[in-house]
Amino acid sequence: MKTTLITLTMLLASFAGMSQKNEYYQAMGETLGQYATCRTVEDFQALGNRFSMIAGNEKDEWLPLYYHAHCYIIMSFMEPSDAAKKDAWLDEAEKSVNKLVAIAPGEADVFALQAMLCTGRLVVNPMERGQQYSMLSGQAIGRALGIDPSNPRARLIKLQNDMGTARFYGKDTGEYCSEAKELLAGWDSFTPKSGLHPAWGKDQAAEIVSGCK
Amino acid sequence: MKQYIFFFLFLISSSLLGQTVISGSVKARNDGTLPGANVYLKGTYDGTSTDTEGRFSFKTLKTGQFTVSVEFLGYESHSEQVTLNGKEIELAIELNETFSKLDAVTITAGTFEASDKKQANTISSLDMITTAGAAGDVFGALQTLPGTTTNGESGRLFVKGGDSDESQTYIDGALVHTPYNSTAPNTATRGRFNPFMFKGTIFSTGGYSAEYGQALSSVLLLNTNDMPVQDQFDLSLLTIGPEVAGTRLWENGAVTATLGYSNLQPYMNLVPQNFEWKKAPESTAAAISIRQKTGKTGMLKIYSSFDNGRFTLGQFDLDQDTMVDYGLRNRNFFVNTSFRTTIGENLTLSTSASFTNDRDKVSFDGNHFDKSLKGFHLKQTAAREITEKITLRGGVEWFTRSLEQTYRTPADTFVNIYDINTMAAFTEAELYASKRFVTRIGVRLEHNDYLNRSSLAPRLTAAWKLDETSQFSMAYGWFYQNPSDAYLIYSDKLNYERADHYTLSYQSTRNERTLRTEIYYKDYRNLTKQGQGEFYLSETYNNSGSGFARGLDLFLRDKKSIRNGDYWISYSYLDTKRNYKDYPKEAIPGFASKHNLAVVYKHWFDKIRSYAGLNYKYSSPRVYNNPNSPEFNGEKTIAYHTLDVSWSFLYKPNIIFYGAVTNLPGFKQEFGRRYSETPDESGLYRSATIVPGSGRFFILACFITFTKKGTENQLDKIQ
Repeated sequence: MKTTLITLTMLLASFAGMSQKNEYYQAMGETLGQYATCRTVEDFQALGNRFSMIAGNEKDEWLPLYYHAHCYIIMSFMEPSDAAKKDAWLDEAEKSVNKLVAIAPGEADVFALQAMLCTGRLVVNPMERGQQYSMLSGQAIGRALGIDPSNPRARLIKLQNDMGTARFYGKDTGEYCSEAKELLAGWDSFTPKSGLHPAWGKDQAAEIVSGCK
Repeated sequence: MKQYIFFFLFLISSSLLGQTVISGSVKARNDGTLPGANVYLKGTYDGTSTDTEGRFSFKTLKTGQFTVSVEFLGYESHSEQVTLNGKEIELAIELNETFSKLDAVTITAGTFEASDKKQANTISSLDMITTAGAAGDVFGALQTLPGTTTNGESGRLFVKGGDSDESQTYIDGALVHTPYNSTAPNTATRGRFNPFMFKGTIFSTGGYSAEYGQALSSVLLLNTNDMPVQDQFDLSLLTIGPEVAGTRLWENGAVTATLGYSNLQPYMNLVPQNFEWKKAPESTAAAISIRQKTGKTGMLKIYSSFDNGRFTLGQFDLDQDTMVDYGLRNRNFFVNTSFRTTIGENLTLSTSASFTNDRDKVSFDGNHFDKSLKGFHLKQTAAREITEKITLRGGVEWFTRSLEQTYRTPADTFVNIYDINTMAAFTEAELYASKRFVTRIGVRLEHNDYLNRSSLAPRLTAAWKLDETSQFSMAYGWFYQNPSDAYLIYSDKLNYERADHYTLSYQSTRNERTLRTEIYYKDYRNLTKQGQGEFYLSETYNNSGSGFARGLDLFLRDKKSIRNGDYWISYSYLDTKRNYKDYPKEAIPGFASKHNLAVVYKHWFDKIRSYAGLNYKYSSPRVYNNPNSPEFNGEKTIAYHTLDVSWSFLYKPNIIFYGAVTNLPGFKQEFGRRYSETPDESGLYRSATIVPGSGRFFILACFITFTKKGTENQLDKIQ
C-alpha cells in the first residue's frame, strides 16, 4: 500500500516536472522508504539529517519535523548508557516537537510523539524523572486521544505506558491483552491521510500480542 | 523499492544536462572526524551524511550558484558557495564547536547546585528531599555536604568556620529574614519551609556573586516550583499531625493552599524524652502559593505563609537550683513575591520582594521577653546578554529590618528598638573566553543608614575546564555583613564585619561519578567584640575582633557502581580561630569541629517498590568554655555520631507509606555543658550537660494523593 503510494507520488513527480512541491513529495517518499533499512544509530542519524534538510525547505509542512524528531527519539532509545548523549538527542527532538505543537496542533500523532519524547526523558533517569515525565507523557497521550480516539499510535503508547505501570506495581499485564489484540486487529482500518503520514507501530502492537498467552 | 528509486533517478538525470559530484570530508576543528554530519545543497533535496571516516559524496543535477550547508549537533553550521557545472567539487570542511552555556565550563568553586536540568549536577533537587535523617528539612539535608559543621544543639547552618548567623537564605531572589523556627536555647531547630516547594537549590559556601550581600559565610538560594500540572488534593498523615493541600489550575495560572497541624504530645507520651516538656511543641501552619503566567515569558509567583507555634519546657535553672518553665509562642507571617520576564531576545528583568513579621513571646520564671522583627526586602535586577559569551547583570536592593525587644520583670520593663535601612547596588559581568574558560567579575556597593557606613565589595571568580570531565575553579571576594541584632540593638557606633574568601576547587565528573576537592582560606576582620562594660551601653561594643578559617573539603558522589544504589561521601577538615564576642583572646570557637564526615546512601528495591535511605554522620569533638577553668574554651565535647535510616514504600500509585528513625543505634550525643551565671558559695560555677531532646526520633507517615486520574502520588516527596 505504502510502496504503491510512494511509487505513485514519484511517478507523478517525474511526470509533472520538478516543481518544488513535487520534489518535496519525492524526497519524503524516498526518505521514508529508508526507514525499513535503518539498523544503527548512524542509520537513524543519516535519516534524521534528510528530514532536517527537507524540513528546512518546507517550513509549513509538519511531517518532516515529525520524522526528524522520531529519528532522534529512536536514537536515544538505542543508546545503551550515555545519559548526556541521550539528552542531547532528545533536546534536538524536542525542538522539532515544540515546532510541531505550534504548526500542527490538530494532529493526534504530534501529541503521541510528544508522549514518546517524555518517555524517552524518563528512561534516562527513571528514579529522578519518573514522577514528572510519566505525568507529562500521560498528559500528551490524553491530548492525542482527545483529538482522535482511534489513532493507533496514541493507543499503542498509552497501552505501553499502562503496561509499564502495571508491571511496576507487580500486577498482571494479562488484562491488557484484549486491548492489545483489539488494537492490532483494527490497525489497518485506520487509514493515514496519505502515504507520507505516520503509519508505524503495527510491529510493536504485534509484539505485545505475541507476549500474551 | 530502492531499485525503483534509482530507476526514477536515472530517468530524471538522463532528461537533464548532467550532474555534478560533490565530495569531501568534515572534521571538527579540534577533535578530528565527524561521522553523521548532514551535508546538503541549500534549498534542494540533494545531500547526504558523512560516513564513519567523516567523508561524504553526493550527486546533484542542479547547475549554477548554490550553497553547500554542513550541520552537526553541537557544532556551528558551515555554509560554502559552490558553482555547479558538472565538474567534480572537493570540499574539506572544518566545523567549530558551538558555544552553549549548558555544556560550557561552570563556576563550581564553593557552589553546590541542585536542579534537574543538568546531568552533571553533583546533587539533585530530589536529593535535597530524600536524605535520611533530614526528615524533610532543607538545612538538615545541606549538613551532609562538605563545608558544613553539624551542631546538634542548634540545627542551623555553620559553613566553613562561620557562625550560624553568617548564612543567609533567599527564596526566588528575596531574602528570608527568619528561615528557622524559633526554639528554646540549646534545642535544635528546623527550617520553616517545606522542601517540596523548591525545584532548584544553589548552596554557595563561599565566593558567591555580587548579587548577594549581608552574608559572611554562605548563601542558600531556593527557587520555587513553576506551574503545577494538574488539579490535585494531597493528604499527609504523620505521627506528629496531619497536613492537607489542594491545587487548582486555571488558564495560565494555579493556586495551591496548604494547611497543617502538628502536635508532639501523643508522640512524646510514647517515646521517653530527655527534656521535661510541660507543653509539647504544637503548631498550626497555613500557606498559599499562586502562580500566574503573563504574556509569553512573564511569570508571577506569590507565596504567603502563616505559622503559629508554642511550647513550654521545664529547664533546670543552675543559678536558682530549681526547675523553671520556659514558654515560647511564635507567630510568623511571611510573604514572598517574584516576577520575571524577558524583553526581546536578550534582556531579563526580575523583581523580588519579601516581607516578614515574626513575633516571639518568651516567658521564664515570671519574666517576659518579647521580640518583634519586621523585615522587608525589595530587589530589581536586569540581565542582558550582549553576545552569547558576554552577559551583564546589575541590580538595586533595599532592605529594612526593624527589631523591638521588650524585657519585663515583675519590677521593671526595658524596651529596645532599632531600625536599619540598607541600600545596595551591584553589577557583574560574566565573560566566556571559550567553552573552556569563564570569569565573572562583580562589585557590590552598600550603604547602611543606622551605622551610617558604606562598603564596596569586589568579587572575582573564574573556571577553567581542563577536558571534558574535569575543571578548576577559583573564587575571591570581600564579604560584608551588619553586626548581629544582639549588638546593633545596643549600639549604632559599629562597623560592618568583613570576611575575605579565597577558594580553589577541582572537580572531575566521569560516568556518573563526581569527585570534588576544595581548599579555602577565609580572613575575618572587624568582628564585633563585647568589652568589659555594661551590656546595654554602646561603648561596650567595638569592631576589633578578627579571625581566620582554612580547610579542605572533599566530596565523592557515585550513582554508578552499585545497581539501583547511589551514595555520596563528604569530608571537611576545618582549622579556625577567632577573637569575637566576649572572647578574652583568639580561640577555637565552640561551633567548629576539625573533622566532619557524612556518608549518605540510597537504594531502590524494585521488587518491593521501596526506597531506603541510610545516613551516617561524624563530627570530631568541639570545644566549650568552662568558667571554672583558667583556660578559655579549654574543654572538649565527645565526638558526635548519628546513623539515620528511612524507608518509603509505594503501596499503590497514589498511596505511599514512610518511616524514618534518626540515631537508630542510639549513639550517646552530648553538646558540651552549660554553666550557671554566677558561682555558688564554694566559688564554683554549677553545670549541666547539654543533650538532645531524645536519643532517637521516629516518624511514620502516609501520603495520599487524589487526582481525577487517580494515579499520581507524592513519590517525589519522600522517595
